[in-house]
Amino acid sequence: MNDFFQTDIISIRDFNKEKLETVFSATDKIIQMNPNERRELARGKTLGYLFFEPSTRTRLSFQAAMASLGGTSLGIADASSSSTKKGESLADTVHIMSLYSDVLVLRHPLDGSSRFAAEISSKPLINGGSGTEEHPTQAIQDLFTIIREKKKIDGLKIGVAGDLKYGRTVYSLLYALSNYNVDVHLISPESLKIRSDSTYDIKKRLKYKESSSLEEHIDEFDVLYVTRIQKERFPDEEEYLKVKGSYTIGLDLVKKMKDDAIILHPLPRVDEISTDVDETKQAKYFKQAQYGKDTRAALLALILNENSF
Amino acid sequence: MIYSTVIQIIPMSEHDLIVRRIRDGTVIDHLKAGKGIQVLNALGINGSDGNVITLALNVPSAKISKKDIIKVENKYLKDDDTNKLALISPKATVNIIKDFKLVEKRLVSLPNKVERIFRCSNPDCISNSNEDIESIMDVVDKTGLVLRCKYCTRILNVSELKYY
Ligand SMILES: [Zn+2]
Repeated sequence: MNDFFQTDIISIRDFNKEKLETVFSATDKIIQMNPNERRELARGKTLGYLFFEPSTRTRLSFQAAMASLGGTSLGIADASSSSTKKGESLADTVHIMSLYSDVLVLRHPLDGSSRFAAEISSKPLINGGSGTEEHPTQAIQDLFTIIREKKKIDGLKIGVAGDLKYGRTVYSLLYALSNYNVDVHLISPESLKIRSDSTYDIKKRLKYKESSSLEEHIDEFDVLYVTRIQKERFPDEEEYLKVKGSYTIGLDLVKKMKDDAIILHPLPRVDEISTDVDETKQAKYFKQAQYGKDTRAALLALILNENSF
Repeated sequence: MIYSTVIQIIPMSEHDLIVRRIRDGTVIDHLKAGKGIQVLNALGINGSDGNVITLALNVPSAKISKKDIIKVENKYLKDDDTNKLALISPKATVNIIKDFKLVEKRLVSLPNKVERIFRCSNPDCISNSNEDIESIMDVVDKTGLVLRCKYCTRILNVSELKYY
């Protein structure tokens, strides 16, 4: 029996290196598998999704993953307007959905919502992003991309740039990386530095340096992870434009990077990476999006199948 | 429903209180003065079971100058409950009385898990929403009194937390 069978995926904190690697090797198998064989893994099964804040990208990758396993999906893409407006509690919405499906995905703006929903749900529940810090399937996707493209994680020098304060993916990514021996550089404007009250555990498990210059170590990174800087985080337009300019990855910066470095981005991007970078060999963010489907398919297959595949 | 609860608030000397011995039950002694009411709330002692509860505030004490005392008749507090006291008044002692005799004296020690005592200080935590949910926190550092919310996983310092 595999350890993931009928279990919830709530937080990247619940993953040690061994569990991460179980998912990575299952993902390798999913990718190599004959599509007909793969479609047996969730045949007749239903994924129920509840998105209390919009995230088309995450929702579609779960739906595509479920379809690739031969299962179907149903759900509410905008649950905050349809159920809560009528006064229904999260608990009831989750309860009902768990009656209609075999596995659930929840996206919710409140911290800890997935942990609570999993207590209510009679079916396994996957956190599709909750509150400001937890996005475990994104972190799994990010690490899988690194291991697939760089063949290893240990020993890599990794730059994480952009909005580190509000970027939900960053905390999950750093926590996931803390299972490995990596050299991490956090690069952000002063006002968007990582929150110290959220790094209590990360600090104990991961060595990282903080700076505000993207260019400083750009020639040393094996991985550059870029996140979106949102305009609404700034008090005024001028400040935003200044910051935006100094955290944009263009061809000039990519030329300074190692030949075999990779650039990742959780997407959607706005202007953080200019489109002419897309053609460079360092650009791996679309690959990363594709792996997002594959890693989620692996998780779903592990949750739904008692025996390994 | 009518409860036959008696909550006596008696400012008097320790000696007087000892005279009013209880036959069976629990005496929470050496509570830091001013913490008695918080302790009743934290332990969910509200008299709804009809037992006599005595709360004494600001009792002169040789050991800690002033203290609060709680006596709960016909009820033996569980270890889990008494350990909650460690967060509110670490020097408290718990005496279990049976047939007028002190049969057990416990010093409180910090539990591994804290339920329903504090509210999570993260306003965006699901435990502060309208959902039917009670706060649960894990104790991550017993000496520094550091807790972690089970739901939002935020690190919380006991001294900054609000009681329910
Ligand atoms: Zn919380």
